[in-house]
Amino acid sequence: MNEWRQKNPLEWNKYVNKEVRVTASDKQQHQGWVYTVDPVSASVVLVDFQSTRKASVAVVMGHAVGEVEVLRDGDEAMAERLSAVFVPGGRQVLSQDELQRRKRCLRAWLEKNLIPVSEEGESLRVAGVLTVNPPYGPQDCSSANEIILSRIQGLVESNPG
Amino acid sequence: MKMPVCVLRLPRGPDLNSRGFDPNSPRYIALCPTTISAFSESGTDSCSLRDEQRTRSVLRERYLRSLIAMSQKQVWFNMHERVRVEAKFGASDIDVLNFQVSDLQTPLGIQKEALIRCPDVISYSFEL
Repeated sequence: MNEWRQKNPLEWNKYVNKEVRVTASDKQQHQGWVYTVDPVSASVVLVDFQSTRKASVAVVMGHAVGEVEVLRDGDEAMAERLSAVFVPGGRQVLSQDELQRRKRCLRAWLEKNLIPVSEEGESLRVAGVLTVNPPYGPQDCSSANEIILSRIQGLVESNPG
Repeated sequence: MKMPVCVLRLPRGPDLNSRGFDPNSPRYIALCPTTISAFSESGTDSCSLRDEQRTRSVLRERYLRSLIAMSQKQVWFNMHERVRVEAKFGASDIDVLNFQVSDLQTPLGIQKEALIRCPDVISYSFEL
């Protein structure tokens, strides 16, 4: 087992949010910002921000990691940028005002359809059995009851507001 | 090069011990040298163990997110002997020992569905 794989998670974590150059066992070098090191396979996930807005990701498998050279540290902004790269598509960050507006709008729509709804912190509690979390889209409904879930999802989707 | 090739591959049978993450399964022990040995060697007081576990989960969650971001995308795999193949990524198994891919472009032709063994992969890359 190579040296890299023998490190523990705390040591791997030290490389996260740093720009490194990894030499792989085929002598190829990969440079990029470390997004994570998988604790199961010790694979290093590197992100490279090219001049265009797209990011390219290169992952070196743990068993093939040779030398890892730290080039520079990332700051808070880079850490945030890295996390944002892998957020599932379509999720933009909404402002507090926009979230409140959506909550009010959805609540009004549900009440108009004669569905009992109450507020629990940031979430809406529907009929005591279903919860709608921010940002209050059809994908944000959760419930143990499938039938109610699908009916309310349909309603949320058809919200004209 | 673009013609699909009919190569018969027998499906892999079910694992005997595939109840989630089982470090004692023969498959895991044979193929996946464990990182768990790392923390049993170090001085284990409960505080550092907790920190280590927390870090482990954070790192693993980020890796899983990178896998999700990769699904259904075109990925280039760098294998041994300078072999470079392109495929559409499907899924990974829990131990990161196999990747399921579709439309694997090999020197022989296009494999509609394939399993790539991770020990054969040196690195892989894709664009977001």
